[in-house]
Amino acid sequence: MITTLIGRELLNNLMTFRFAAALFITLLLVVANTVVLIKDYEQRLESYNASVKTHHQEIREKQTYSAGEVEVDRPPNPLSIFNVGLDKRLGNEIWISHNYVPTLWEARMNASDNPYLNILSSIDIVFIFEVVLSLMALLFAYDALAGEREQGTLRLVLTHPIRRGHILLAKYISAMLCLLVPLLLSLLFALILLTTTTSISLEADDFLRIGGIVLTSIAYLSVFYLIGLLISAVTQRTGTALMLAMFVWGALVLVYPNLILAAIRSSDIPQAKAVSTFNQIKQVWDEFDRERKQYLATDDFPGEDPTFNINGMGFFYEHFPEDPLTLLYFYYSMMTFGELDEKFEREVPHAQNYFRFLIPSTIKTAERAWLLRKQALEDTLVRKSNMKRTLLKLSPVGMYDAATQAWAGTDLKGVRDFFNAVRQYRQTVIDYLDSKNAFASRKWFAADEGAVDWSTLPAFSFKRSGIETNAKRALPDLLLLLTVNLLLFMIIFLIFIKSEV
Amino acid sequence: MWHIAKRELYDNLNSLRFALTTVLLLGLMLTNALMHLQEHPAKIKKYRSSVADALNALRSRTDLYDIAQRGPGLLYKKPSALGFCAEGGDTLLPDAVGRNDTVWEDGELKSFWTMKYPSTTPDLKDIRSDITKVDWAFIIGSVLSLIALLFTFDSISGERERGTLRLIVANSIPRHTVLTGKFLGALISITIPFTLAVLMNLLVISMSSHIRLDAEAWGRLSIIIFLVLVYTCLFLALGLLVSARARQSAVSLVILLLTWIVFVVFMPSVLPSIVSGFSPAPMTADEFQERIVQLDRELLNKYDNRLWADETLKTKQVRSEYVTRDAEIQERLNEEHLTQQIDQVQRARTVSRVSPVTIFQHLLESFAGTGFGRHLQFVENAQRYARQFREFVVDTDRSDPESLHLIGVREGMSQKPVNPAAVPKFEDTLSLSKDFNAAAVDLLLLTLFVIVLLSGAYLAFVRVEV
Repeated sequence: MITTLIGRELLNNLMTFRFAAALFITLLLVVANTVVLIKDYEQRLESYNASVKTHHQEIREKQTYSAGEVEVDRPPNPLSIFNVGLDKRLGNEIWISHNYVPTLWEARMNASDNPYLNILSSIDIVFIFEVVLSLMALLFAYDALAGEREQGTLRLVLTHPIRRGHILLAKYISAMLCLLVPLLLSLLFALILLTTTTSISLEADDFLRIGGIVLTSIAYLSVFYLIGLLISAVTQRTGTALMLAMFVWGALVLVYPNLILAAIRSSDIPQAKAVSTFNQIKQVWDEFDRERKQYLATDDFPGEDPTFNINGMGFFYEHFPEDPLTLLYFYYSMMTFGELDEKFEREVPHAQNYFRFLIPSTIKTAERAWLLRKQALEDTLVRKSNMKRTLLKLSPVGMYDAATQAWAGTDLKGVRDFFNAVRQYRQTVIDYLDSKNAFASRKWFAADEGAVDWSTLPAFSFKRSGIETNAKRALPDLLLLLTVNLLLFMIIFLIFIKSEV
Repeated sequence: MWHIAKRELYDNLNSLRFALTTVLLLGLMLTNALMHLQEHPAKIKKYRSSVADALNALRSRTDLYDIAQRGPGLLYKKPSALGFCAEGGDTLLPDAVGRNDTVWEDGELKSFWTMKYPSTTPDLKDIRSDITKVDWAFIIGSVLSLIALLFTFDSISGERERGTLRLIVANSIPRHTVLTGKFLGALISITIPFTLAVLMNLLVISMSSHIRLDAEAWGRLSIIIFLVLVYTCLFLALGLLVSARARQSAVSLVILLLTWIVFVVFMPSVLPSIVSGFSPAPMTADEFQERIVQLDRELLNKYDNRLWADETLKTKQVRSEYVTRDAEIQERLNEEHLTQQIDQVQRARTVSRVSPVTIFQHLLESFAGTGFGRHLQFVENAQRYARQFREFVVDTDRSDPESLHLIGVREGMSQKPVNPAAVPKFEDTLSLSKDFNAAAVDLLLLTLFVIVLLSGAYLAFVRVEV
């Protein structure tokens, strides 16, 4: 019986104008957009590759260890085509130094060829589904019950010995099957375009991630279909149902996400906690600075000059960079000379002793400051942005967006994976320098006995987290979507059971 | 006709959609006003303090060489008081041009101040989710246009379905009167909640003590409100056109929603990207750096052996020429780079005008004094000021008979102290007539769209069989 019902509904839906229109528009939007997005990705990949090459070259030209500041780049995520998330918004190059522990807030964006292009808006595939498919789902649902009631066919159907639950289920299944056609077909086209582009290499995991995105899209679609069905169940006339559906769509998709983000704005004034942590970090470095000065005052070399009167072709540089907003504060110094006059030969051992003391001490202090900073950053900046994300999830759009970002790995956690890798790499670089005994060596600041050989420096590589991690991050939101589905279905069921025809 | 309009109006006023529209628009406009109250004073404060700093630095110098070499530093863009109407991507555009640094120093010679066009990168410290600004351009461009379609999709096809159309047409009223009546009824019933929302928005904004809207701003606002009406008419006409052609309201709605998606969602975001992707790209950031280095080297090669030969007047002339040429070359290259970048964006913007939403957005930006058009105007202002500033330096130097008139070399320029108040200062201004000129094409296009759609609706309705 239920198969007959499904068959009838399916035929009803497939032969409509709205189905053809939905299919056409989704295909058009997705295919046109995929072409644009692939081009954009290729551009970013190109500039990433160029940047990696430049940085590789730059470090090899550095003559002393002190001047050797390694810069690493963040590769663009190929799945950003589906949901761009934070992939394009956060910095994609960062310098690594023993002086501080890097976070995403210190990353910079490598120079763009035309920064004015930023004002042109662009959308990703998930956004199209978010806007277009949800609208389609509502259009398929608004007259499902109200229409039959108006036409009087509902009464007819109910006179048969069919359970009401079955009628609902048949309607739901057939409409979802119809809605899946544009979704899957357009995704298929997008995938064909993606796989035929040579510059994009998708791994096996990526296909699973895309599978996750598809699954989430289906759940999202179903939520909107059920919202439409709910409206249809409680209204008597299709006209009212339609109006309500349209306004609910406008409120959930267009208005609410923008409103909630605009209404709760983070002020640029640091919070009290941030201020106190910043002062603590400053104190840690002040303590370090006192020790450093004390060392300079008490060592064998007369005077407190950190350059030990050495000068020549090269430079010495020291200061305390700071940014109270992101709680950044550290001691930064560089001393590098290409040639060293023979008259400074007496000073060199003093300088070597000084750096043997200074660098490990800097690393230790940076570590101490990082422990303070890490916690405070989580408490202030990250938590604040997470609160907004949570509020966004009051609308299914927010859940869908969060879940697909998690699958694509373009969410905050995915991007922070990269910076975790950067911090690990910093440790590797420090260990490498330590193993070369670089801190106490003459090559730390002088290249007169030959430049540093950087060829054995371990290279940086970053691999996106595995599919299990993506799944773990996406699952809460996906489950939330499914729960909403279930809840809505139960409510509709109860209303429909109780309703009089 | 008025009778029909009145009837439509009563129908609409009692409907669910009217109530929902009112609530939606009021909520959006309130958010918009509150956000503006929060942001604008901070922007103004930042602008004022940076302008004051730059001016103080300029006025603190009395030596003509110093003034000419360091220049006026950075020139700042004045934030518009009507930023709440259209944000226009202002956060993605640089808020200053000019240069603050000395590029090179060679003995006593220093590079001279030139115009430079720094780029901004989006705020990289921002880890929040994406935000569309809830400005008027969004509220009206996206939300109100959708509402306009929802008000008209069934105005003719619905009557046909119910059979009342036959009744109306059977009367002695001409069909175009019926159409005009319906059109006016829908327009008025949309204008009521919109006016309420706008009044509340402006009331909240003008009540604040931090924001003062002057006469010109009010003039601009009235133009904007007029534009909103024209834009609403466009979508109402579209709704009537489709409604007259479609047999069923459901079909009419589906067509309208698809058209809306294509015009509002698809075209503004996809077309510019396609066009900018396929139009000639400006020189890349690396190429630009290479060109600068290369030109510097060429110039230095040309002058190097003569620069420090001796201390005669002739050598000083060479030095002066070198510094001046260097500044010229730098400035020309920067300008060329900027022109290439602007051209690419302009092409994209031109093509995206096929969508009325983009036209409306551009118009709103022009009259609100934000966005790309405004940025170009600001750059022009700054370039004019740069010329004025250089003329001032030359004139001051010329008026001193003791000077050697060798600009670019300290001992070649007037040694007389300069009166700080005489140095011209930069003030960024908005000009309504210029904005109007820039917007003329868009205005014509928008009107054209409305006329085409209205006559389309008329023809469709006159020929319709009941």
